[in-house]
Amino acid sequence: MIYIIDHDDSFTHNVVHQFAKFDDIECDNFNEINQKKLNKAKVIVFSPGPGAPKDYPYSSKIYNKFKKKKKIIGICLGFQQILHSENAKIIEQNKIYHGFQSEVKVTSNNSLFKKNKKFKVGRYHSLKLKEPFYAKNFEITMRCAISNVAMAIENNKDKIYGFQFHPESFLTENGNLLIKKILSA
Amino acid sequence: MITQDYLKSISKSKKPFVIYKSNKGFDLYTNFSKKIILTNKNIHNFINKISKNRSKNKNTDLYIGFFGYEILNNLIGIKPPKQKGLKFPKGIFYKPEIKVSLTNKLNYINEDLKALNNDFKININKKSYNKIFSKFKKKIKSGQTYQIKICTKYRNKSKIDPIDFFCRLSETNLAPEAFLIKDKEFSIVSCSPENLITKKGNYISTKPIAGTLKKTKKFNKIKALNFFNKNIKETKEHNMIVDMERSDLSKICTPGSVKIVKKKIIEEYRDLYHYVSLVAGKLKRNTSTLDIIRSMMPGGSVIGCPKISTLNLLNAQERESRNIYTGSFGYIKFNGDMRFNIIIRAILNYKEYSEISVASGVVIDSNSSHEFSENYIKAKALMDLYK
Repeated sequence: MIYIIDHDDSFTHNVVHQFAKFDDIECDNFNEINQKKLNKAKVIVFSPGPGAPKDYPYSSKIYNKFKKKKKIIGICLGFQQILHSENAKIIEQNKIYHGFQSEVKVTSNNSLFKKNKKFKVGRYHSLKLKEPFYAKNFEITMRCAISNVAMAIENNKDKIYGFQFHPESFLTENGNLLIKKILSA
Repeated sequence: MITQDYLKSISKSKKPFVIYKSNKGFDLYTNFSKKIILTNKNIHNFINKISKNRSKNKNTDLYIGFFGYEILNNLIGIKPPKQKGLKFPKGIFYKPEIKVSLTNKLNYINEDLKALNNDFKININKKSYNKIFSKFKKKIKSGQTYQIKICTKYRNKSKIDPIDFFCRLSETNLAPEAFLIKDKEFSIVSCSPENLITKKGNYISTKPIAGTLKKTKKFNKIKALNFFNKNIKETKEHNMIVDMERSDLSKICTPGSVKIVKKKIIEEYRDLYHYVSLVAGKLKRNTSTLDIIRSMMPGGSVIGCPKISTLNLLNAQERESRNIYTGSFGYIKFNGDMRFNIIIRAILNYKEYSEISVASGVVIDSNSSHEFSENYIKAKALMDLYK
């Protein structure tokens, strides 16, 4: 079972339907977390949402508690939530992308995805990762083809994955394939 | 009876009635056997009991009416602070006993019409609007909202003949979700173009509009489509709404069933082009009417995105009640089918005051002066009726 933690977002149920293609799903609001479901889940997903990771301290607690014990996936705010919990700085960006389709590029050899592959994705983020960023076993594996902003992280040792863009958006090409790959990793 | 005579006689009879745009013309509902004024106390019971009615096959086996903005907030657990403005009911539904089909041509002449006060006052002047605008841009930069729609109101004192208004409005703008409610103490006249819910059996769809272009000689349908497709700001706003509506539907639909049936097409009306998408899905078994309403309302395209956080920002900002504006009008049949629009481009006439609300969106690259005048253009189409 995959447990999706909803940060009151208007895209969360797209995430739910996308993951439902691959496994049973439970989804609860971040302030109504069910401990039983949390313990039972094989995978925890942090949903997109408004605001910044510092607004959701409980989600960071969950991350820290289950890191290395369960597969953890973050999308948009969820991606930032993982990074924030790994002591990264999340900052405002000058150019903001909301509802924007842009190209990302796989930039790492260690990615589950093929290096240099480019594809179109849907973006809804005000904030971004401040670089340089370093955390043990984490690697930035995708970047915006134009601005170079970090678009995906992978920690294949501890099975932690995050996307700054929205794989569930209708603007993302092959979003299902991305999710399928990290779920079977 | 022909449309013209019918309108005249019902106007004379002073009976309350409702008119709603249908495929071929208009449907008129009257002879109300029940009128339910919604409160936070009775709304759950009202909605849950509709499907318990035994008779389901008559064309009047339905409740028709509206949910105001505030009660829709309350239904999803959001409480706007106490606001100023008309103390208008939060929602009203009627049980009709008669349904009459009318043609698209609504001729109606009232010989006793008096000149109307056409002087309107706006509740937020340009300076304050600019201030609110830049405040929300900061909220966008910090990620609390991605798109937010500020409401402004135009108001005057006048006693209107709503049938006259509705007929003249339908003549210039035959909107697919137009409606009129005429009751003893108030009336609502609207040329809403936007369908929020169409539900038949386990099929449900929503048809968000994001992007409107006034018809000029310069444009035809293809050029209008090019205009929107090339306009990055309009495209982004529209994309956001499409993803949000997909998610709202996904809450109540079976996984994998939610599809974008029409993606970013142009719909042509007499005076306007609309940039429209149609999103549909198959309802999960045992989805209740209340589940559907709570998932879809208030309609996202007139609020902004993401819904909850944006509603909270709006409610903290707006000092006056939105009343009917961005609520929903429509009907719920006893068999569970329903149709609802989003209440925009509407005049609320209550206690001899007319209120016209309009809104336009703040996104990261929108321009305050442009949106302010856009609001005026939207309101002007309705204010012109007072001339």
